[in-house]
Amino acid sequence: MKMKVVFLNLLLVVAMAVPASAHFQMIYTPEIAKNKGAETDVKLVFTHPFEAGHTMKMGMPEEFFMLHQKGEEGKIKKYDLKKLLKPITWTSLTNSGEAYEAKLPKKIVRSMGDYTLVLVPAPYYEGEEDIYIQQITKTYMNVGGLPGNWAAPAGLKTEWVPLVKPYAMWTGMTFKAQLLSDGKPVPNADVEVEYMNHEPDMKNNAFKKEEKAHAPHDAFVTMGVKTDAQGYVTFAIPKAGWWGFCALGSGPDKEFKGKELSQDAVIWIKAVDM
Amino acid sequence: MKKIISKLVVAAGLIVLSATAALAHSPLCSCFDNGDGTVLCEGGFSDGSSASGVKMFVRDDSGAVVLKGAMNEDSEFEFKKPAGHYTVTFDGGEGHSIEIDGSDIVE
Ligand SMILES: [Cu+2]
Repeated sequence: MKMKVVFLNLLLVVAMAVPASAHFQMIYTPEIAKNKGAETDVKLVFTHPFEAGHTMKMGMPEEFFMLHQKGEEGKIKKYDLKKLLKPITWTSLTNSGEAYEAKLPKKIVRSMGDYTLVLVPAPYYEGEEDIYIQQITKTYMNVGGLPGNWAAPAGLKTEWVPLVKPYAMWTGMTFKAQLLSDGKPVPNADVEVEYMNHEPDMKNNAFKKEEKAHAPHDAFVTMGVKTDAQGYVTFAIPKAGWWGFCALGSGPDKEFKGKELSQDAVIWIKAVDM
Repeated sequence: MKKIISKLVVAAGLIVLSATAALAHSPLCSCFDNGDGTVLCEGGFSDGSSASGVKMFVRDDSGAVVLKGAMNEDSEFEFKKPAGHYTVTFDGGEGHSIEIDGSDIVE
């Protein structure tokens, strides 16, 4: 028992010594509040978004799908998107890494309503920490302003369930979401928050060099919040653009290939200026 | 007697309130050319409520109704595309109607 405590302390020290920027699995598409449905380009990138830093090599995702619901009483339709995936190389400011893209045909994104994009990536081996990381990630789109299933859980091992329409955020609004693991709230979880500080260049599969904001201190690169006793997080959005929330190790799976697995829940939302 | 009247007034007030609440949402309708000679329209309201039962009209250039029907339980209405210019009306009642020009309905 004592050994374990010492080991945990060591882990904490190591974790703190690592520069303050966090891994974030991204599901990116430029426009999520669409007036009309249209063919939609999506990029899947595993990176450090604030600094447009090191981009990790993604394996073929375990799952990539979309849930669509037209109106609150509509039926949920599931579309498998995995067959649409194509490998690409994504260029960050410091390296290039293997990522994926998909072109969603208009026929599956033409209807009004909500679209939830869900990615269950292959566990990524992080050599420095000798652990696997699997970030189960969601983002949302809406066509035509007809709401649907944005507030419904997608039934994932671990996930964020928004309490605020995630595709209709003005800058300055407060985002609220509940963290679930196996469908149950996760209290007091560590959550990292990052701003997508370098705009993705869809054509060149790269982050643009210009930064949108400058961090006055390392601690601002990755902000830390915690879930409350019921697993909720609230966060006021200070700037237009994309915000990612990552709950560390919130998932039920703790081991992969005999090594420690951090199964995280990630959600991306977008705010626009008034 | 007075009591009864005030009760009636309250009831009338409630009816007015619920009618206003129903007006707070806006109608939504979009149509697609299926590419096989048919057009599919889907509807709903901005609060997420269903458009099931909402009357639908298709009119020709002169404004004459050439087709009429209603949104089905999935808030959809499909029809055979008329020859020539046409318009589609989603008739959700006063302040809740939308007219779509056939030339804006594409695949
Ligand atoms: Cu990293």
